[in-house]
Amino acid sequence: MRGFRTIFGRELAGLFLSPLAWILLCATFVYDAFFFLYALEQGTGGEVNGALYYMHEGPFWLLVVFLPPLLTMRMISEESRSGMLEFLLTAPVGDASVVAGKALAATAFMALAAAVLPLFGVLVGLLGATPDWGQLVAQWIGAVLVSCLFCSLGIFSSAASGTPLVAAFLAILANIVLVFLPMLAPFLARGRLREPVEWTLDKLAIQAHFRGSFLTGALDSAHVVFFLSWILALLFLSVRVVETKRWLV
Amino acid sequence: MIRVSHVTRRFGSTTAVDDISFRIERGEIVGLLGLNGAGKTTTMRMLTGFLPATSGSLEVGGFDVLEHSLEVRRRIGYLPEAVPLYREHRVQEMLAFQGRLHGLPRKEVRRRIGQVLERVGLLDRERSLVGKLSKGQRQRVGLAVALLPDPPVLVLDEPTSGFDPLQRIEVRSLVAELALEHTVLVSSHILPEIEAVCARVIVLHRGRIVADGRQTELMDALGEARARVEVAMGPAPEEVRGLLENLPCVRRVEDRGVSGAHRSFDVFADEDVRGTIGALARREGWTLRELSWHPPTLERFFARIALDLDPQEKTIRATAPTPPGAGDPT
Repeated sequence: MRGFRTIFGRELAGLFLSPLAWILLCATFVYDAFFFLYALEQGTGGEVNGALYYMHEGPFWLLVVFLPPLLTMRMISEESRSGMLEFLLTAPVGDASVVAGKALAATAFMALAAAVLPLFGVLVGLLGATPDWGQLVAQWIGAVLVSCLFCSLGIFSSAASGTPLVAAFLAILANIVLVFLPMLAPFLARGRLREPVEWTLDKLAIQAHFRGSFLTGALDSAHVVFFLSWILALLFLSVRVVETKRWLV
Repeated sequence: MIRVSHVTRRFGSTTAVDDISFRIERGEIVGLLGLNGAGKTTTMRMLTGFLPATSGSLEVGGFDVLEHSLEVRRRIGYLPEAVPLYREHRVQEMLAFQGRLHGLPRKEVRRRIGQVLERVGLLDRERSLVGKLSKGQRQRVGLAVALLPDPPVLVLDEPTSGFDPLQRIEVRSLVAELALEHTVLVSSHILPEIEAVCARVIVLHRGRIVADGRQTELMDALGEARARVEVAMGPAPEEVRGLLENLPCVRRVEDRGVSGAHRSFDVFADEDVRGTIGALARREGWTLRELSWHPPTLERFFARIALDLDPQEKTIRATAPTPPGAGDPT
């Protein structure tokens, strides 16, 4: 993974040098603040942990479906068009470092965006509330893992698409399918096949794995491995697509 | 330093590079010439490892481009035609990024940034945003990026595109200087540039090498040196032509027709024949308006290859060395 840190640093700096990233960060802050206050005042009657639980169960998923595709859409497709990919792939770094560096830079940005909710926890803590810190940290770790999965999917889409817009559209579509995967069972199979298909989709369901552990404050290695497997598989596929580009240029 | 052996690259049914072989020794500066679509960029991309060859092998510094890709990439400074740069970064940040990609220590990167910026004449632009620079300045930043790791081999694809005439002269002399320390492969379709900088040229046409050798030898092989003679009307054209054809070293004479009160002839010869033509004119009592010598130019040579020569039938090869084990691409 030679050159990974260099690519990661450059991509992260590149994100913060673009206005889009700042706009997304500000929008996330406002969005989270709005729903957090709503949950605190209307939903949980001032119970902080309930409000944070609600945020990670509902509003978080809308962000994670849309933000990673917007962050990653240009990372490979645009660089392929501008010639930057040619520069990177002729530098003494491996293709895997290029792909992983970009995906993890987008993840780092998402980790910062996901840190808005723990920040709210700290603020209400300073005002006298008692957030469950363990649960909050677990929720943040889960949010980062889910973000990394969607960023990897975004990178894959960017590698496979010719333009950033197409990359973002395909990634958003794929994210929606992934989030609602268990609901697809009735459309995919009927009769005797329905049960095994439902069982398989339930096992692959990202939301269920998040809810079953991180959301409740439990760090279960099985769920961590589940997310890491998805991430590695998507990054592996992205590297293969980038390698294929050499043959198709 | 560079060894290309029977390399072919196909894109679907199109053959971009067709069984080419050549070898470039350490310290050589070689010009890669060809029309658009001749296969220059594809050849350079295969050398840098960006594109795999469909068949054949490429070596840089003794390392196979496919098998030891990272070793090859460490040894090559590559300036692609599109000059890829991050426009949102400052010049020094772009150069520092290249230094880190090549694993150079921080101190060394700082030292090299100063050196390469001075070399390309952009020392005062170190803090400028790349996106704010002119096209010519960005081209020079691209050259600085390629030079930063001080690689033994430089591959420059159209390094002067986007330059004004004065900048072209500067870059031309810079490339000539670089040849003192690096092995340089440079492509261009601006022939006088290659003529001024590269002793050896490789000419690609429709993916095949149609000429490879030192410029002077290729010109000799072409045999296009000629004297232009303009004789005042009077003597019969057939008689003038016959006398000129009988002069020593003359290959052939072409009657260029009448221009005002004079008739022009092109006398193709192996060496400068102005002296013998002058003596003949004095002896025969001809009145000459012009007697000039036109050695062959790369431009003429190239035009001849591009327009007339069928590469399937003829390949001009002067003294370029052939890699051991690589066949002659005729």
